[in-house]
Amino acid sequence: MSEETPLLDELEKGPWPSYVKEIKRAAKKKKAAKDLLGIQELSYKDKVTHWKHGGIVGVTGYGSGVIGRYCDQPEKFPDAAAFHTMRINHPAGWFYNTKSLRELCDIWEQYGSGMTNFHGSTGDIILLGTTTENLQPCFDALTEKGFDLGGSGSALRTIAGCVGPARCEWANFDTLNLIYDLTLEFQDEIHRPRWPYKFKIKASGCPNDCVAAIARADFTIIGTWRDNLRIDQVAVRNYVDHGFDIKTLVVGKCPTEALEWDEGSKELRLKADDCVRCMHCINKMPKAIRPGVDSGATILVGGKAPIIKGAYLSWVLVPFVKVEPPYEEVKDLLRKIWDWWDENGRTRERLAELIERIGLKNFLKDLGIPPVPQMVYKPRANPYVYF
Amino acid sequence: MVTDNFEGGAELPDEITSELKQKIVDYLKTVSKAKNREVARAIDADKHLVDKAIAELSKEGKIEYLYLGASFIKLKEN
Amino acid sequence: MGRTDIGPPDYREMLPDFIKKNYGKWRYHETIRPGVLKHVSETGDEVYTVRAGSPRLLSVDSIRDICDIADRYCDGHLRFTSRYNIEFMTDKKANVDGLIEDLKKIGLPVGGTGNSVSNIVHTQGWIHCHSAATDASGIVKAIMDEMYEYFTSMKLPAYVRIAVACCINMCGAVHCSDLAIVGVHRKPPKIDHEKVLAQCEIPTTIQSCPTGAIRRHPDPNIKSVVVREDLCMYCANCFTVCPAMPLADPEGDGVAIYAGGKVSNARKPPMFSRMVVPFLPNNPPRWPEVVDVIKKIVDVYASNAKRYERLGEWIERIGWEKFFKLTGIPFTEQHIDDFTHAVETYRTTTQFKW
Repeated sequence: MSEETPLLDELEKGPWPSYVKEIKRAAKKKKAAKDLLGIQELSYKDKVTHWKHGGIVGVTGYGSGVIGRYCDQPEKFPDAAAFHTMRINHPAGWFYNTKSLRELCDIWEQYGSGMTNFHGSTGDIILLGTTTENLQPCFDALTEKGFDLGGSGSALRTIAGCVGPARCEWANFDTLNLIYDLTLEFQDEIHRPRWPYKFKIKASGCPNDCVAAIARADFTIIGTWRDNLRIDQVAVRNYVDHGFDIKTLVVGKCPTEALEWDEGSKELRLKADDCVRCMHCINKMPKAIRPGVDSGATILVGGKAPIIKGAYLSWVLVPFVKVEPPYEEVKDLLRKIWDWWDENGRTRERLAELIERIGLKNFLKDLGIPPVPQMVYKPRANPYVYF
Repeated sequence: MVTDNFEGGAELPDEITSELKQKIVDYLKTVSKAKNREVARAIDADKHLVDKAIAELSKEGKIEYLYLGASFIKLKEN
Repeated sequence: MGRTDIGPPDYREMLPDFIKKNYGKWRYHETIRPGVLKHVSETGDEVYTVRAGSPRLLSVDSIRDICDIADRYCDGHLRFTSRYNIEFMTDKKANVDGLIEDLKKIGLPVGGTGNSVSNIVHTQGWIHCHSAATDASGIVKAIMDEMYEYFTSMKLPAYVRIAVACCINMCGAVHCSDLAIVGVHRKPPKIDHEKVLAQCEIPTTIQSCPTGAIRRHPDPNIKSVVVREDLCMYCANCFTVCPAMPLADPEGDGVAIYAGGKVSNARKPPMFSRMVVPFLPNNPPRWPEVVDVIKKIVDVYASNAKRYERLGEWIERIGWEKFFKLTGIPFTEQHIDDFTHAVETYRTTTQFKW
């Protein structure tokens, strides 16, 4: 094959770090990475992908964690003819010590292409490209160093959450502990696909939702609080004294007009009943305004991307719940939802699509959850009611 | 149907019997691939128990997983 | 066979001591310069975070370089963000300048904080995906080269989240981003009848079509399917369950651009991104048409939006008609929804702008 990559070389230029340079760096040591570069160049020339469906590949005992991938030009690119991905469940919050990362690198240099994604969209560490024969020894080496595979297929996908209390003052519950606990509890659900389709869980510690849990998780946990904002008036005055335009930038942008600025007493007043805990004022004045102390989370369900029936944002299921170890309430709810979905769902039907087909009313009834107004923006307008 | 004490299963055996595993294997001989739910319905067994039995069969290397838009199980070809 | 079901490493083993000590005790934070955060704990402790951009696709040698820096300044710890940025944390303020210097040496830019364009969340594209209608990494690189100044500064009205998905499966929160680039097909599947027989289940394939466009082949001797092309909107769901029905086509494939989505609850509730450009061709290696549209929208937004107004909030305030006018992007029949929840988007008021 030609070793020239004139199209990809264009992507080595410019200030942003270049992934092409990364592949070339790996290609110095690994033939598979070199063929990956060739396949990518060919796609740039042909304007189509050169990868095929996977079929059956994996490690013994698992139905998840390995994405089978074959090149459609195996003669041209023999070293990337089979180029399977391994999804590795990341440590909660994506924190690492360098010892573990280096061990991971050594294993992947031995068994794979030397190319990775830190990280994939769902959150896993992606080890990009290895042969069928190397899957099992690579997996064994990984577990030896404390790493395990993540989810794929019709399984519980690797659970992800935000940085949480490790380095954020707005964590309304311990996102890292919750997702680690759930991940250990549901290893079987992650590793052995058994449901109609994929199921994703994501946890954000506050309504800023840094992991986009509401858009891409079937089960969305977003931290919030039930009492009032905490306002430190001295710190508020300090912002104002330093020229911060509190009236325009905070009071004027409060979506529910829950804040008032008293110019005379130089105090920020909260109309607590009107506050919807959106985070805007806290985001803009972190030294002066904090979430309340009666903290917990809202649980929402159904978020997903368009395929098949369209995209959904998660819908409120439980407006407020305390999120504390051992998280039995969350686990029970998950199990009930899975049973209901597994019983009623068609193959490749995500939870939201099933709820839409069968009706939120019936979903709530089957789960034994009483309806509350917080679940809807507004009540129905039509008269077509099943009694 | 979802029951409140789906985990309790007082009347169900909480161990995976070799009989159950054999039933699953026998069913899988009759189909090219299946979902766990289909297996449970076909052999008229509790789905949770079937899930566990399939996990064991997978660890024993007797079945494997096929991905074709969704995941299925099938007997491993030797 | 080795051990199974051990789960990921315990996150507690991955935290540096100054994080463990202040876990759950953080009081506030400030961004002391673009790419550098300072968190202050109730205990009085301070931690400095230097955030660096990353190409996401990393060779193991580059990860080792990153580890070297973490060993030098961060007690051998680091973390990644949900947008692939790498965060180097230290409890010593004096380490910050050296960290930035060393990151520069290995080519990693510092930024992505506050009102910036952060790193682009994206999918695999032609690097690894069988259903990709476009590449992802290449588009990302081309856009980020152009957005570099917005990554290393904080001069935008609010932060701008960009995402790229190489097909409408959209692995990632593409559909709720300020700007989303999505790979799309425009031609119906090309059916290989022999392969259908060998690889596909016909009922499953027929059922997979959300518009009912797939039927059994009219000739009973041919065990395959046909597609009613007038009903096909190229979602490729059939290809996912039946590999014998590929849609990929060099001329048919390209990208669509969506704008105005968000996931944060700050001010307005989360919202979907909406179509602004129905199709642009795949033009590797640098997708100039796509980069131009993105740059145009960000520049117009930067000079027109009010402070702290997200792209979608700005568009809602000025109206979509004004958005198309200001950006010079043509409004076409493809912008009008005709899928499942279409009618919710039809205007039912005399209120609009000119």
